[in-house]
Amino acid sequence: MSVPGMTETTEAVARARAGDAEAWGQIYREMGPAIFRFCRRALPTREDAEDATMEIFSKLWEGRLIQYDETRSFSAWLYRVAANHCWDILRRRKIRQDKETEDVENVPLEHPDPNQLDRLIEQRTSAEVRHALDKLGARARMALVMRYYSDMSYDEIADALGVRRAFVGVVLLRARHELRQALEGKSALAAGGTS
Amino acid sequence: MSEPANPVSHEGPDGTMDHLDEMTCLLYAERQLDRGRAQAVSAHAQDCAACRTLLRALERESRLLTRAMLEEDEPLPSRLAQFQERARQSFQWIWGVIFGLAATGVYALYTGFVEPWQQRLDQAGFGGTSLLSLLVFQGAFWKGWQSMMTLFEVLAMITVVGFGAVIFRRHLRRGSAVALVLAGLFAALILPGPASAAEFHKSESYELAKDQTVKSDIFITGARARIDGTVDGDLYFFGQSIDISGHIKGDAIIFAQSTRVSGQIDGNIRSFTNNLTITGTVEKNVLTFNETVTLDMAGKVDGSLTGFGQTATVDGHLGRGLLFMGDQTIISGTIDGEVQAKGNFMSIASTAQVAGPIHFEGNHPATVDAGAKLASPVQFTQMKRESEYEQGHYYVWRIIWTAAFILFGLVLFLLLPKFSEEVVMAGERVGAPIGLGVLVFFGVPIAALIALATVVGIPLSILTLGIWLLALFCAEIVVGAVVGNWILGKPADTWALIGRMALGFVIVRIVYTPLAHVHVIGFLVGLGIWIWGMGAISLALYNRLQPTATQSSMPGSMPPMSLPPNTTVGGIQPA
Repeated sequence: MSVPGMTETTEAVARARAGDAEAWGQIYREMGPAIFRFCRRALPTREDAEDATMEIFSKLWEGRLIQYDETRSFSAWLYRVAANHCWDILRRRKIRQDKETEDVENVPLEHPDPNQLDRLIEQRTSAEVRHALDKLGARARMALVMRYYSDMSYDEIADALGVRRAFVGVVLLRARHELRQALEGKSALAAGGTS
Repeated sequence: MSEPANPVSHEGPDGTMDHLDEMTCLLYAERQLDRGRAQAVSAHAQDCAACRTLLRALERESRLLTRAMLEEDEPLPSRLAQFQERARQSFQWIWGVIFGLAATGVYALYTGFVEPWQQRLDQAGFGGTSLLSLLVFQGAFWKGWQSMMTLFEVLAMITVVGFGAVIFRRHLRRGSAVALVLAGLFAALILPGPASAAEFHKSESYELAKDQTVKSDIFITGARARIDGTVDGDLYFFGQSIDISGHIKGDAIIFAQSTRVSGQIDGNIRSFTNNLTITGTVEKNVLTFNETVTLDMAGKVDGSLTGFGQTATVDGHLGRGLLFMGDQTIISGTIDGEVQAKGNFMSIASTAQVAGPIHFEGNHPATVDAGAKLASPVQFTQMKRESEYEQGHYYVWRIIWTAAFILFGLVLFLLLPKFSEEVVMAGERVGAPIGLGVLVFFGVPIAALIALATVVGIPLSILTLGIWLLALFCAEIVVGAVVGNWILGKPADTWALIGRMALGFVIVRIVYTPLAHVHVIGFLVGLGIWIWGMGAISLALYNRLQPTATQSSMPGSMPPMSLPPNTTVGGIQPA
């Protein structure tokens, strides 16, 4: 899995695992901004994202790095750690999640008009999409961030969200529908969001 | 989500043109379909403009999402930029100091307390085992296990298991690890050493007649029991009173208000009883926790007598030593070994004969009547009146024990980080944990003792009491963590929580230590800490065991989300 905006730091990771604080600093400098942005997309507020980023790197510093399998991509592994951490945070906010589950997950999806959808996508800017993302429910946003920001596989998303692998497509499709509604200004479905 | 059996059809049964459903298009765009189905979708899209448009729109949507998320619209917060430097300022040396102090504590505990006791018990006829193995493993519950473990084997095992679990925790699901530990504990408790048959009797009154023989161990619960016959194995009794005038060929393990032994017991007596009177013969040792133990003039114990209680009276013959901690020790019979006693008062009558040395630590010198035949004069030690907190080493010990508890808390928090966090959160609510704590603190031991009396509930009862005791040990750590959180705020991670626990624990100790010596107040504050901490643990456990409405959205479970009507995967959409 290749992750945009991130450099592989295998050597630095090896040195950090051996206790080299300078190497750890290098990892933080290279990965910190990307992980912060991941958390910023996944979590409702900037403060949450800051806290989560620090917690994730604290875990690495305090020994979590040992769990990393050097034969695999470090950035992909780090994104999985971040995804699990963010999802844990969101899961703990049970009340909001209950509301979101009630409001959103039982609503049937309509088949889109291909031309209308195409026009909608063409007319929207990145900033509008980010704004709309903030209105989504926790799981919808989390799923989209994992898939389209950190390029996680369906298996990894299933593992992080705790759903069956075969269900990931449904989660992503529902998330897209929520996003479209938010882009169109119909925020009713996203009323239970965590923004 | 089932994969489509026949993903694409160009024509419906009524002759209308069919289209791909959105889910199939998404899975195709995301390269999640197998080769055959992907080819079918591709072939359909070549002929169907609407589906081609939908596929293109979905792909553009994906790209838009990725672009929107990757754009750097916000600078990295300065707080994060400073974080790296702060993280490097580790306080790991503090843990080194704590570990060193704790190790010192364990060593000092052994050399200052356990080893002397072991020597005394050796002299009193309980050679080869430690105090713990004497009281527990050699005691009522684990008969036959005495050769298995010593105190330090147990401590070493717990430490190794604890650290091992911390190291390998990531390989274990927490639930399965806890289940494994509990199952192991339970199995360890319920599996006896040597397998043997046993008889169980539960009735108001039980009597084994003189001419009757039980050819196995016997378990009796009830108000009263009378044993005139013969028991070929061990006798276990839980009840009000028991009178043994027959012959027990094994050990007698007794929890009763009143116990009288006028017959013969070939093994040991282990008893938790109000009054124990021996007028018969015990061929091995007696260990008793009681108010009064009396070895009658006609009574004979070939081994030693170890007692904890109020009064010990030895009028008969004791083959080895006497070790008693209580109020009064009265000797008018014959003791062939050493006497070690601690208490208020000791009296040695003129008829007494003691072959070994006599050590007595008490408030008053022993009263020795003329005519008593003693191998040597009584070695009397005045019980020290000086308050503990007036002695310097008391504070050194407090520091060492504080370090030991913090280390214990560190292991616990690393072993169960999430649960620890939940316990501390529960503790912060104050009212609820204290309320529940009162219930658990008093209720659980009572329930466990009731279960103990049912025989079949013995393993469960012991396990419950064990967990209760563990919770008691953890209570001050929990309260410390809560106090630490109040002072430093919410922790960011487990290590931050441990740091807060250490700080809070030290503060609780500093506040509590002087109060502990104030009559009533000290007791109440200590009780409050126990109840609060234990209540927090219980509340966290209770919360965990409660089914929540959000279970369906928790990892590991399938959300209650049905497939949308128009997105049956791989199915065909009528145009």
